[in-house]
Amino acid sequence: MTARALFAIATARLYAERRVVLYACAAALFAGLLQPRGAAGPMLLGSLLGVAVALTQSPGRRPYLDRSEQGAPLFGRELARAKALVPCIAAAIAVGAYLCGQFLAGSRDGLALAVAPIAVVAATLTALSAAIRRGWNRAVYLALALAAAAAAYVLVVVARSIPGELAFCALVSFFALRQYGEALARYDPVEGI
Amino acid sequence: MALLRMRNAAFLSGSARAGPISMEISAGERLALPCSSPREAAIVALLATGIVKATSGSVLVDDYDPRVQSVHCKRAAALVPHEPLDLTDHEFARYVAYRAALWNVDRARALAHARRLLERLDGMHEAFAYPLVAALVVEPKLVVLDRPQRAYAAQIAAAVGTRATLSTHASFAAARAFAA
Repeated sequence: MTARALFAIATARLYAERRVVLYACAAALFAGLLQPRGAAGPMLLGSLLGVAVALTQSPGRRPYLDRSEQGAPLFGRELARAKALVPCIAAAIAVGAYLCGQFLAGSRDGLALAVAPIAVVAATLTALSAAIRRGWNRAVYLALALAAAAAAYVLVVVARSIPGELAFCALVSFFALRQYGEALARYDPVEGI
Repeated sequence: MALLRMRNAAFLSGSARAGPISMEISAGERLALPCSSPREAAIVALLATGIVKATSGSVLVDDYDPRVQSVHCKRAAALVPHEPLDLTDHEFARYVAYRAALWNVDRARALAHARRLLERLDGMHEAFAYPLVAALVVEPKLVVLDRPQRAYAAQIAAAVGTRATLSTHASFAAARAFAA
């Protein structure tokens, strides 16, 4: 896959969901102003926003983009990587907005900056598999995404292990992306017809 | 060499079914295929572009099997979806650039090609012209039209030119309008 195609998918999808990204950032900034202390806000709210943006990648929301990507000469894993980039970028921007809110409210705590982005990415990538499923399967992946965010929070705040949290989130992200690629390769576009 | 060859190609998944279909389209040929329902017509169009794999029989696009070489199939064939595309001029230019990037076609050339095609499709509603133009700018060998509008048969034929074309239809009357 060319970098050009990767960039084109990411920008087209982000442009299509620009309002959702904007609302997510506004919500995160507002929450950051209200809750300037600790890592719970950016990790848990950021993960929720990441999950919401991941669900906007569900087939059918942007049918012309779906059809173009399904018909493009790309492998399933390449498409998975490009599509996964979109909610991760959106969620990272939302976390950035939250941290800006915290900074504006007077907090100078660097912990959230270190631990929140990777936890949000892990939850977002796990939720991507929910975007192409329905019913109970979708609910299970959403529960797994929220459980990943909660586990990352427990590792940082209760177990006080930042390396543990980073390693856990990296592992979850790796398997979630692989799973999404597999699911996308097996996805049957006839379902939507 | 046939650009599209189907041998008893059928698709069956839950309530979705299509075929079995046997046919062959070579370079420069045009085929209008009537189907039993709009859903079957849509599935056959997806089969012909390698987006959906046949559950029985065989499909070869430009001599490549979509089950193992779907990327090659998708480079050869382009789908024109049935649904109209409701975009502004600016959004359509972005969409053409996006498709050019996915197919690794020069962006400026794709945009110029799109402009020329839109001029040639003057009189056709933009929402119906956009999907056709978006499919043609990636320079496919085979164009697959999913239930094209009967009213625009002449303009579509002129825009597609001498490319091999398969159109799927939900009725015989619609297929007749597109028959070679």
